[in-house]
Amino acid sequence: MEIQLHPLVAMKLVLIPLLAASALFGQGVEPANDTQEQATDLNINSRYTVESVDLNNQHHYRLSTSILNEMHRLIGARLNDDAVKRLAGKIRGELRAHEVTFKLLRGGNPNSIKVLFEVETAQSNFDLSIPKFAYNSREGGTGVGQATARIGENAFSLAGLSDGDSLAERYTGIQAKYERLSLGSDRVSMGFEFDAYHEQYTGATLSALASGVDASSLGAGAYRSRLNFEPSATFVLAAPLTLTIGFSFEQLQPQLSAAPSESANALITTLRYHQRWIDSDDTNQELDAGYYLRAATRSLGSDLAYTRHAVNVRYALVHDHQTIEIALVAGLIYGRAPLFERFVLGDNTTLRGWDKYDIDPLGGNRMVHGSVTYGYRIVRVFYDTGAVWDQGTTPEARHSVGVGVSSGLGLFQKGAVLLAVAFPIRQGRAEPVFIAGMNF
Amino acid sequence: MTVATKRSLAAQVFLQALLCLELLGLSASSEDLFARRFADQIHVLAPRLHFLTGKSLERLKDGATVPFDFQLSIAAGFKNNFIGHPAVERFSVSYDVWEEKFRVVRLRDFRKSAAGLSALAAESWCLENLLVPAAGLPADKELWARLDIRTAEPRDPVPSTADSGISIPALIQLLSRPPHPQQDHWTLESAAFHLADLRQ
Repeated sequence: MEIQLHPLVAMKLVLIPLLAASALFGQGVEPANDTQEQATDLNINSRYTVESVDLNNQHHYRLSTSILNEMHRLIGARLNDDAVKRLAGKIRGELRAHEVTFKLLRGGNPNSIKVLFEVETAQSNFDLSIPKFAYNSREGGTGVGQATARIGENAFSLAGLSDGDSLAERYTGIQAKYERLSLGSDRVSMGFEFDAYHEQYTGATLSALASGVDASSLGAGAYRSRLNFEPSATFVLAAPLTLTIGFSFEQLQPQLSAAPSESANALITTLRYHQRWIDSDDTNQELDAGYYLRAATRSLGSDLAYTRHAVNVRYALVHDHQTIEIALVAGLIYGRAPLFERFVLGDNTTLRGWDKYDIDPLGGNRMVHGSVTYGYRIVRVFYDTGAVWDQGTTPEARHSVGVGVSSGLGLFQKGAVLLAVAFPIRQGRAEPVFIAGMNF
Repeated sequence: MTVATKRSLAAQVFLQALLCLELLGLSASSEDLFARRFADQIHVLAPRLHFLTGKSLERLKDGATVPFDFQLSIAAGFKNNFIGHPAVERFSVSYDVWEEKFRVVRLRDFRKSAAGLSALAAESWCLENLLVPAAGLPADKELWARLDIRTAEPRDPVPSTADSGISIPALIQLLSRPPHPQQDHWTLESAAFHLADLRQ
């Protein structure tokens, strides 16, 4: 028996528990206690004003907004020895560092000092994590489980994943990666990645492939497995701007075992910029931008030749309890790229509420998408718009809206948890999509 | 040479002789700890002891506050027969990154502190403020002083009390435990002395 809810009824059913959760969790936020006069007075340097608070090799670490806010709160005030020690403990916990100590340095004028936190990472450590987990009522589940080990400057990771969200196909397999974090200099690192995936397709995708739609732009048909060997090197051009250059040697095993395998060997380049600004006690901004190029060429022995460009820009402004986030992504492909390279919209992060297989079961070679999210405490409302199409066809802009709760739950370190319901904006009946997950 | 000049010269020679004797006494003794009497209190001198060194000094110069726990015990009759209550103090030392001078606070009484000190002066100030009452000590027996110093570990917080900076019983309990392997610690013992012989 199929139960269909009117959108307004569904919205009410979702909003009521969400708002209740918001009220419940939102009250749990308490300001940190930063005053302990007696302990502060023990340090002679407590008479000096803190000019700046920094972390050594800051570009190596990604700290949460709450830690950055706490660092910022120390600036302009007299040194509070206890607050600095507490903060060192929090940084240690968040970065899972062996030890975090601090150093006081002379500031620019005789009454000021600089606080520099120094992170000492363990020579050897091992960690198990779930970097991504999501459930979408249309797509099903997506999850990544990862084991990482670090020995000195060598980092190893092994991940098992099943992703039915980000591509037109569901791919399940392993990702093994080695990284040399410092190659003669902290500004250069190198890595090698090996991926092995098994692919699954929906009936809609297989039908579209069989019908020959998009045949002119599709580089390969359905393949049952994919192997990827990817050596790369990353250079810190001018922190926080980094450039990654490498190669991707991808082997596609066709679904018919008698057919020969195809290769998609590409030069890969990523230019990435990530910066945060803390403007005042209650305001901070974050900008994350990247340009990604994959150029598969026959000179690398590739059977398929194409060039894939993608850009993404994400800007977030957090003021007091309010958040606004704007995300833009766009991409285009020249040549005949395989299915895994094609752009899709209508997943857990783009055109939420739409079904990506309804939009285009094979994806497209042109794509543009924008998203605006407004948040108050843990409540989020978002609006997505975008189009995915093939060169030579007319793009159709689609829109969707949604509401949910995210961040500030305090259950996860980065707070990147989202429970949401999203609706496509279109004429006629619109069925909601439920999304739940973290770090996606 | 006038009589006054002769007297001055004689005084200088006498003082130098005294100094030589004192130095001879120091070098002749295998001990590094000397008890002194100050009114009705006993305190100690440790001219060769330097605890503001090594890792502790590094932490201080990085701007951290480093606490040191001190215990001064007196034995009577024989060396390990400790009598009365030992003097126990925690001193918190910090280093002014601008003036490059030390500050010491005695935690039992936050108002008792000294700033603008050199490392040597900071070490001496701690010892000068570690006092054992002379009243209960037997005058007819040989006495020995024993000084224990250790850096306080952050994991060993001492509970504070309302009327004084720290809880002395808790500090005594802490010092009764053996030091952690990575904890800096120093133990010094004096030669035998009699209460009546102590210089004021």
